[in-house]
Amino acid sequence: MGLSPVISASSSTSAPDTRGADLHAGYSGSSDSHRLDPSPLRVSLTDVQKTFDVGRGRTVQALVDIDLDIAEGEFVALIGPSGCGKSTVLRLLAGLDTTSSGEVELFGSPPEELSRQHRLGVAFQEHALLPWASVSSNISLPYKVAGRSVDKNRVAELIKLVGLTGFEKALPKQLSGGMRQRVAIARALVLNPSLLLLDEPFGALDAVTRRRMNSELARIWSEERLTTLLVTHDVDEALILADRVVVMSGRPGKIHHVEKVDLPRPRDTSVTRTPAFHELVDKLTGMLDGAGEDS
Amino acid sequence: MNTRKLTKASYMVSGVVLLVVAVEVIARLGIAGTAWPSLVEVYEFLGDERQRSTLWRNTLVTLESSATGLVMGTIIAVLAGAVSALVPILRPGLDRFAAIVNAVPLVALAPLFITTVGREDSPAVVAAMGVGFVVFVSTTSGLANASRTHHDVLTVLGANRFRRFARLQLPQALPSIVDGLVLAAPTAVLGATIGEWFGAPSGLGMMIVSAFQSANIPQLWAVALSATAMALIAYFIFIAVQRATVRRFT
Repeated sequence: MGLSPVISASSSTSAPDTRGADLHAGYSGSSDSHRLDPSPLRVSLTDVQKTFDVGRGRTVQALVDIDLDIAEGEFVALIGPSGCGKSTVLRLLAGLDTTSSGEVELFGSPPEELSRQHRLGVAFQEHALLPWASVSSNISLPYKVAGRSVDKNRVAELIKLVGLTGFEKALPKQLSGGMRQRVAIARALVLNPSLLLLDEPFGALDAVTRRRMNSELARIWSEERLTTLLVTHDVDEALILADRVVVMSGRPGKIHHVEKVDLPRPRDTSVTRTPAFHELVDKLTGMLDGAGEDS
Repeated sequence: MNTRKLTKASYMVSGVVLLVVAVEVIARLGIAGTAWPSLVEVYEFLGDERQRSTLWRNTLVTLESSATGLVMGTIIAVLAGAVSALVPILRPGLDRFAAIVNAVPLVALAPLFITTVGREDSPAVVAAMGVGFVVFVSTTSGLANASRTHHDVLTVLGANRFRRFARLQLPQALPSIVDGLVLAAPTAVLGATIGEWFGAPSGLGMMIVSAFQSANIPQLWAVALSATAMALIAYFIFIAVQRATVRRFT
């Protein structure tokens, strides 16, 4: 029931769920398949395996049978215990790592192709801002990397969007942790990427700042509507932001469960205080606790 | 607070005074032989207007050779470091070449330079050799300093190697390159002086040779003090540059 038709985990034999079918343009809507139509307008990992060589001829199976589709304009959150391979999934989509077998396609192309076209945005837990560059030149970096002239209006618009007006000339070391992460997210957004990848972007922040950043990201996302994958270990964060939450289990990493989140947006305190929200939090948290033992 | 500063300064002054007095006492007693300088004699030597102007003229010559060597060595080293970062296949070869060239004693190379670049220019070239190795090592290590996450961000953004170099690696390497210059600046003075030993028409190195041949100990040490002062001034200038760079680039 929880499984949406977009996902098939190898271990699950889900009945097709037609409820989700009309949610996204890319859906087949038919009941004879639990996968999407082969459409160039989505992100997909198909039958992906990843093995890491740990030396002396020994290998570690990091990911098995990962099948995951993200429809255009969809926000998917990937949660799981640490070491379950969720960041590896993100690195495969970012073209920072390659699969041992299986296919990764972003809108009909391999990930390297998208980064070559400067169509990927990424933010990590470490902000990775250039320490010598001001807020606005850090946000302008993707233009310079792409060899394009900097669109000053777009940069100013993003500075406003992430709430850093007045800090244009500030250096990263003069900003708080939360502000640095906002700059990193603005940098990821500035070229209007086809796919936005967020790897625990708020993982190093304190709880209060983190919640505030969650609602800000929700607001930003509702304005930009980008296809997004968020990797996190924070269940609340995933539920506040995502259309679907994918739960992974570890050793080896595989998809354990997929939860479609039908809660209304914006998911401010009026939503996060409802029993429905708490029920989802409890359900997914329970899965995370169990996931470590590999069900 | 001021008392503490004062205490610190008084320790420094008494250290210097103690050193000067010890040197003078050893010279007067003749404990260390006739080559040990008496600072009073060195001071008297420098009191002579003619000697002073000769020393100053030759100091300027060595300064020019050192500065030329420092600039040349730095440019060549940074370019070589850039090549090794941009064309990774060349990196091991460049590293080994630099290590080998550095292992050859400068004294052995100096005659070679006299026959190739001439007496006038070989001090600058010898200085550049010494500078080059230090700056090359600090450049290549600086260019490798950017964090993995920074590289990942640039990879995802689709940076080619030249833009990655210009936007990330080079600015990241600047503090390390300046660290190299702090060490290289005194090396340049030393290199230029050694280069002048082998028949240069002027310069502190030439003066050392002539003082040595005429057993003119006060002249020898006046020259040595001049070279030391130059190396120290260069060192402190680059320490200041280093502070500024670290403030700006980290």
